[in-house]
Amino acid sequence: MDFTFTEDQLAFKEAIGRFLMVEAPPEMLREIWETDEGRSPELRRKMAEQGLTALSVPEEQGGLGMDDVAWSLLTQELGYYAIPDSMADTAYVAAGLLAALPEATPDRNALLERIAEGSIRIAVAHGISPLVADVHMADKVLVHYEGEVHLVSKEALACQRNTSIDSSRRLSRIQFQPDSSSRILGAEAGTSVWAETLNRGVLAVAGQSLGLAQRMLDLSVDYAVQRKQFGKPIGSFQAVKHKMADVAGAIEFAKPVLYRAAYALASGEARADLHVSHAKLACCKAAWLSARHGIQVHGAMGYTWEADLQMFMKRAWALNASWGTREFHQNRIADIVLSDGAPIGPQFTFGD
Amino acid sequence: MKLTFSNEDERFREEIASWLESNLSGEFAHLRFRGGPGDEHAFPEDRKRWEQHLAAGGWTCIGWPESAGGRGASIEQQVIFAEEYARAGAPGRVGHIGEGLAGPTIVEFGTQEQKDKYLPGIRNGTDLWCQGYSEPSAGSDLANIRTRAVRDEASGRWAITGQKVWTSLAHESDWCFVLARTNPESRAHHGLGFFLVNMHQPGVTVQPIEQMTGTSEFNEVFFDEALAEDIVGEPGDGWRIAMTLLGFERGVSTLGQQMQFQNELNDIVKAARANGAAWEPTIRQRIAEAHIGLRLMRYNAMRMLSADSQESGASSLVYKLHWSSWHRNLGALAMDVLGPEAELLAHPPYELTRLQALYLFSRADTIYGGTNQIQRNIIAERGLGMPKETKGR
Ligand SMILES: Cc1cc2nc3c(=O)[nH]c(=O)nc-3n(C[C@H](O)[C@H](O)[C@H](O)COP(=O)(O)OP(=O)(O)OC[C@H]3O[C@@H](n4cnc5c(N)ncnc54)[C@H](O)[C@@H]3O)c2cc1C
Repeated sequence: MDFTFTEDQLAFKEAIGRFLMVEAPPEMLREIWETDEGRSPELRRKMAEQGLTALSVPEEQGGLGMDDVAWSLLTQELGYYAIPDSMADTAYVAAGLLAALPEATPDRNALLERIAEGSIRIAVAHGISPLVADVHMADKVLVHYEGEVHLVSKEALACQRNTSIDSSRRLSRIQFQPDSSSRILGAEAGTSVWAETLNRGVLAVAGQSLGLAQRMLDLSVDYAVQRKQFGKPIGSFQAVKHKMADVAGAIEFAKPVLYRAAYALASGEARADLHVSHAKLACCKAAWLSARHGIQVHGAMGYTWEADLQMFMKRAWALNASWGTREFHQNRIADIVLSDGAPIGPQFTFGD
Repeated sequence: MKLTFSNEDERFREEIASWLESNLSGEFAHLRFRGGPGDEHAFPEDRKRWEQHLAAGGWTCIGWPESAGGRGASIEQQVIFAEEYARAGAPGRVGHIGEGLAGPTIVEFGTQEQKDKYLPGIRNGTDLWCQGYSEPSAGSDLANIRTRAVRDEASGRWAITGQKVWTSLAHESDWCFVLARTNPESRAHHGLGFFLVNMHQPGVTVQPIEQMTGTSEFNEVFFDEALAEDIVGEPGDGWRIAMTLLGFERGVSTLGQQMQFQNELNDIVKAARANGAAWEPTIRQRIAEAHIGLRLMRYNAMRMLSADSQESGASSLVYKLHWSSWHRNLGALAMDVLGPEAELLAHPPYELTRLQALYLFSRADTIYGGTNQIQRNIIAERGLGMPKETKGR
């Protein structure tokens, strides 16, 4: 049993965190929102230079060959800096899907190589949500159709764009006519590939949510230390500091769940669903609590457009129901726990 | 105890219901279900005209005594008015700060001259008011007010200098009641005065603050030797008057709001039935909880209002905490009912749907008018007599 990370994993996370802190400060994110596309090709290119897009592409295709466990760390950084880009959809979720395809699948290797070098955007339309992120910028879209995997170019889709309460999100409803030329995997093999893809999408959201929770906590603690009322920092009032302590508790208790889920995915555990849904619930809960207490601690200031807190709160609220609502994930857990032979005895600390 | 409305009350209900039915049409039809918290930017000019139309029909300030231009309506009738007003989807009132806060304060503490001067404008819907309490360093610690009022001995008039912040609807207001320090040597809640200030003068600058909703309902207000038209009470009475006003803020004036809450809950139920969320066990339970919470609130408000002085006051102390927390949870429920679609805006660039506006605005409910933490301190310290937390000064 070992809940620790390798030196490599930690070094990578730290490097990316430092890089994003410099390259993606809140003022810049606000500028990116204002653009029509809502995306910064330059930021994306720099992230690719840091190796982020190559992270989980197999080494044979020029990637770093790291796995879900590494992503559980990096998605937290993406959340912490509220990166306005669905990078994890391409570099983690789509890369995972493509890597799971049979080697001989046409385009597989070429696409993976392009992901690694950072020269392609791939959106993933799983169908769990009617809304797909970043189709408007995608070179290709991976679409779920009755268990089959289709690879479609954006032009072949009818795409209706929507704006989100989180100004950095760009969502589309899509419609497309599946045919044999777009199909890259049949339903038989596709079903399990999609199941894994769903879990990666969920895990990416969970990791980002946890990062958001931490960011909102940090912002709020800073504010509570500086803001004075009644001649004291408001952070000295128990009513305020206990709220911050509760958020810290929720974050700490979500972390091992996220890591456990990443491990389950990386090692192909049969009941990965259970762990992944648990991670989503725990991380989103931490983010939601951090938002709720964060704005409370900020007082009226937290309700303004100007205060950065709103950027992170809105992302957290938007992610809350993406890649499966709370009810969806609760039901997935309940279905497993209530099933015959459920792995819930005392001997199942790490039972899958 | 008598938990029914009398025949006379029911006649009153028919009267207001049919008045609203025939008047909320034509030039006012588009105002149905518009305005109010989170939607104050909707048709402000039309809603001002509506306020005046309502006044001409005799339907503003109905709870004020007849001597002040009201109808002296009973609590029952005020409840009925609020019910029918919400049921008809009549627009958010632009005059609510005048009717609910400034007016009753002037009725209670003002001179006859002041009543004659200010009440008709409120009653007729021609003068809109805002509340100038909070300052950058006086939020929860309201007594830390630094805005100064200086009396010119020759003219006898007071000049106000300082900055207010988070002043709701200041950009639409004609008047502001301002809490300011009359005695520069004084500290905390001593030495304050309660001033009535005309917003249309060179010494007053209003700067909108953008909210996370993308709209601006509150403002910074700068006073630079702005002349106060009047002081209510004496210099030094400001705190006592300001606190009485907060009592009004937490009393009858919340009836309309509760009925709005009922409309919101109905919207959520409708959405849940339409998209199937109503069949998710956890959502069902939360809808039931929301219903229970709202009933609790309504009964408690009736009890509080009908008992008046009879109650210990504890019920009024817990009221704000209950409704603000309930409403904040209602907002979250709305988003969960909508699921992944909850984040979609009504229109670009940033027009919120009604339920989104509810969600975002209800994040502020636990902050304005005394935060939840301050409410709990009040319940514990004033209601239960517990020792005060040490302050820094
Ligand atoms: C939408 C909106 C509309 C408003 N409209 C008006 C208006 O029209 N006119 C007006 O005058 N004001 C208005 N306000 C201001 C409102 O009254 C203040 O926001 C409120 O009093 C809190 O003050 P603050 O924002 O400075 O927060 P702070 O007082 O700085 O509080 C920050 C945090 O510290 C906590 N805290 C502070 N002191 C204590 C303590 N002693 N013990 C425990 N916790 C404590 C608070 O609970 C809060 O969580 C409005 C605010 C909002 C959000």
